[in-house]
Amino acid sequence: MDTLSRRRFLQLSGAAIVGATAPVLSISQIVQAAQTRPLPAGTPILVLVTLYGGNDGLNTVIPYQDANYFQSRPDISYSPSDLLPLDKELALNGSMTGMKNLWDQKKLAIIRGVGYPQSDRSHFTSMAIWQSASPEAQSNSGWIGRWIDSQPRDPMLAISLGSVLPPLMAGVNRSGSALPLGGIFVPTGALAMDCMRLSAPSASDSKLLATAATSLRDLFDLSSTVTPILKLPAPPASDLPTSNGGSAGGGSDLQQQLDVVAKLIAAGAPTRVWSVSLGGFDTHANEKGAQAVLLGNVSDAISRFLSQMRSVSRGQDVTVMTYSEFGRRVRGNASQGTDHGTSGPVFLAGDKIKGGFYGDQPSLTSLKDGDLAVTTDFRDIYATVLENILMAPSEQILGNWKGRMKFLGNN
Amino acid sequence: MISDRTQIARLFHRFGFGPRPGEFARAIKQGLQATRTELLSVPLHDAGLDAIVAPTLTDLGPFPAVNSPGRKAFDDEMHRERRNLTLWWLDRMALANHGLTERMTWFWHGHWATSIGKVEYALPMYMQNQTLRKSAVGNFSDQARNMITDGALQYWLDNGNNSISAPNENLAREFMELFTLGVDQYSEQDVKQVARALTGYAVTRSTGAVSLNLKKHDSSPITILGKTGSFTAEDVSNHLVNQAQTARFIAERVWFRFVSDSSPLTANDSLIESFASRNILSLISTVGNSAAMADPQNSLVRSPVEWFVSVCRALKVTPSKVSKPDQVLNFLDKLGQIPFSPPNVGGWPTGESWLTAAAAQYRLQIAQYLLTQGDISPLTNISSGSRYFAIGDLLGVPTWSTRTARALRNVQGDPTRMFLLAVSSPEYIVSI
Repeated sequence: MDTLSRRRFLQLSGAAIVGATAPVLSISQIVQAAQTRPLPAGTPILVLVTLYGGNDGLNTVIPYQDANYFQSRPDISYSPSDLLPLDKELALNGSMTGMKNLWDQKKLAIIRGVGYPQSDRSHFTSMAIWQSASPEAQSNSGWIGRWIDSQPRDPMLAISLGSVLPPLMAGVNRSGSALPLGGIFVPTGALAMDCMRLSAPSASDSKLLATAATSLRDLFDLSSTVTPILKLPAPPASDLPTSNGGSAGGGSDLQQQLDVVAKLIAAGAPTRVWSVSLGGFDTHANEKGAQAVLLGNVSDAISRFLSQMRSVSRGQDVTVMTYSEFGRRVRGNASQGTDHGTSGPVFLAGDKIKGGFYGDQPSLTSLKDGDLAVTTDFRDIYATVLENILMAPSEQILGNWKGRMKFLGNN
Repeated sequence: MISDRTQIARLFHRFGFGPRPGEFARAIKQGLQATRTELLSVPLHDAGLDAIVAPTLTDLGPFPAVNSPGRKAFDDEMHRERRNLTLWWLDRMALANHGLTERMTWFWHGHWATSIGKVEYALPMYMQNQTLRKSAVGNFSDQARNMITDGALQYWLDNGNNSISAPNENLAREFMELFTLGVDQYSEQDVKQVARALTGYAVTRSTGAVSLNLKKHDSSPITILGKTGSFTAEDVSNHLVNQAQTARFIAERVWFRFVSDSSPLTANDSLIESFASRNILSLISTVGNSAAMADPQNSLVRSPVEWFVSVCRALKVTPSKVSKPDQVLNFLDKLGQIPFSPPNVGGWPTGESWLTAAAAQYRLQIAQYLLTQGDISPLTNISSGSRYFAIGDLLGVPTWSTRTARALRNVQGDPTRMFLLAVSSPEYIVSI
C-alpha cells in the first residue's frame, strides 16, 4: 500500500457505500429479526481486542531465564520472582493472573514473534497493515470489512464498541456498525417520524450524503434492537477464581466494553464479530508500572468475559483474539521506556482454543538493527480464524495466502 | 463545476466555522470573488473576540501525593483550569468575526495533535495553543522551530527526560513522520540520529518550560538526511522544514483537511509551489482559489467540533455561557472530538468515521440542548411559508435534497423542529 492510500485508509474508517445501494429495512423488520433469529447456539463468535500504541511483547511474555533480556533493559526488566512462569523459558507479566488461569486450563494460545515482512515502525502505517491485512498490496478496506462484504447485509453482523468505527471493519461495499458505550437515545413520537423522513434515501445523494442519511436510519435499526438488552445486568462470571491481580483501580474501560458485548451475546444478538480496544501502550517512558496496569486490565477483562460466556452457554462459541500494531525495541531507553520495534505476541483465548505456544520465540542474540525477528506472519492467524471461526473462504479476503495454524481444537 | 452558492458555502464551512445569521445571504449578494477575498484574509484586529478574557491559569506545581491534604484542592483546580481552557477556545471559534485564524489554529492543533490527556496541566496546553495561533497563517519554519521545543509537545512525546545515554525516539520519529516529511521519507538511521540531537531537553510539566542540559545532550557530529554536523532541536527543525518534501507533505495535509480526503493532491500541484517560502497564508490562499474548490467530487464530512461551533454561530450561542457547559463538553466527548484531546498523535479521523448511528444520536441531543440556549428569531420573525428558503441561508447550506426538503417543509410551522432537523440533515453534516 502506498503512503497516501494507507493514510487515507486509516483516516477513513467506514469507507462504505451502504446508503446508496442498500435496501431500506423498516424498524419493525429489524426488531422482529433480532427477536426471531437469535444467533443459533454453536455459531462461532470472534471478539477482537486491539491494543493501540504498540504493546511491549518482551515485558508481556518474558524470557525470564535469558541473561540478554536483563542486560538489554536493566531499568525495566522484571525479576523472575515477580512473574508467572509458563515453562522453563517464558513467563507472563505478573499482572496477568487471569490469562495465566486460562493458560493452565489450556484455553490460551500464545503465538510468538508475530508480525509481517519489512516491519514498519509508524503506529499508523503498522496498524493500517494489521487492520487491512495487506502489507504489500494497496487496500482501502479492512479484513473484517471484506468478510462483511461476503455476508448477507445485516447491521448487527459486526459491531465495534465506541462511537468511531475502526478501519478493520470497513468493507468495500459495506461496513460494520459502531455502538457507543453510553446509553442510547432513541428519538420517539413526532421526532422519530421527522428523523425517518430526514434519513430516507434521495436520488441526488452523493456517497457521503447517502452515508450520512444511512447513519441516522441505522440509529433506529440498531437502537431499537439493542437498547432493551443494554438495560439488563451483565451476565455473572461465576466460575472465576476469587481474586484477580492487576486492575487494583477498579473496572477498566475494556471491561465496560466487554460487559456490553457479554450482554448482547447473552441476549442472542445475531452478531458474529465484535471489536473492542484499549489504548495507552506507547510506553516510551516510565513503562513498567503503566504497562503492568494495562496488561492487568486486559487479562482480567478477558478472563471475566470468557467466564460470563460460559455462564450463558456461549463458552464453546466465543474466541477472543488480542493483538497490537508492533512490539517494542529490545533495548530500553534512558526514560525507562522502549521505542517502536517489530514483532510481538498475539493471544487467542476461549474453549475452542488448543492452549500452548505457537510460532518460535524470537532470539535475543540474533537481532536485526536491535529488533526482534518476525517468526509468524499475522496472515497465518487471520486465515485460520476466517476459515474456522468465521466460516468463510480465506481467499476472498486475504488472497492466495497459504499459511495456517493449529491453535484450534477442531483443526 | 458547482454553483457559486455552493462554493461560497464551502468557503464559510471550511475556512471558518460557518456563517452567523445574515452573513451567508450578504455573501451571496456580494458574489464569490469578493467573499473569497474577505474570508481568505486576516484583519489586524477581530472585534468579535474583544469580550473574551483569557482563562486564568496558574503554575499548579507538582502533583501532591495521593491522599495528601492538598490533593483534592489541586485536583479540583486542575479540573477547573482544563474545563475553562477548552470553553475559552470554543468561545473564540464561536465569536470570531473572522474565522480563518481560529480555523487554522484548529488545523494546526490537529496536525501537532498534543493531548491534555497525558500533559494533564492546562497551562502548557494554553501556551502551545498561543504558539500555534501566533503562526497559524504565518511562517511554518517559525512554527516548527517553536514547536520542537514546546513543553506540551515535548512531554506528550516523551522528550522531557531524554538522555544521551540511551536516546528516546518518540519525538524524533513523529517529528519526521507526522509533522514535516511524512511517512517513509527518511530512514530508520535518520530516526536514531534525530533522537540523538533531541537528547538533553527537560520539561517542567506544570509550566511547560523547556531547558537544555548540555551534559545530557549529544552534540557530537551526526548525519541527518545527508547533512552532517552538530544539531540542536532548532537546527533539526530548520533542516527538516527546508526539505522539498516538507512543502509537499504540508500541502498534502492541507489538501486532505480543506479539499478532499479521498482524492490525492496531484504531483506538480501549484499548492506545493505556493508553499516554497513556507508561508502558510500563501498556501491557504492558493487552496481557496484553486479549481479544486469548485469540483463537485470534493465534498467533506464536517467534524464534530466544526459542526458544533457552526450550530452555536447560527444560534448566537457562546459555549461558556450556556446553562450547562459541562454537558456540552460531555456531548463533544461522546462524539469523539473535544479540543485539546486528540485521540493520538496522528490527530482526528476524517470522513465516514464521523457518520455513525452513534454520532447521529448525539448530534440530535446536542442540537436539542443548544436550541434551548439560542436565538432562532431569524426563523420565528418570518412567515412559516418563507422559512424553508430562509433556513438554507441561515445555516449556509447551498441546496437541500428532495428528501430533506420534504422533511423541512413538513415542519415549517414549528421553527424549533425545523432548525433541529436542518442541522441534523445530511446536507449540513457534510460540506457538499
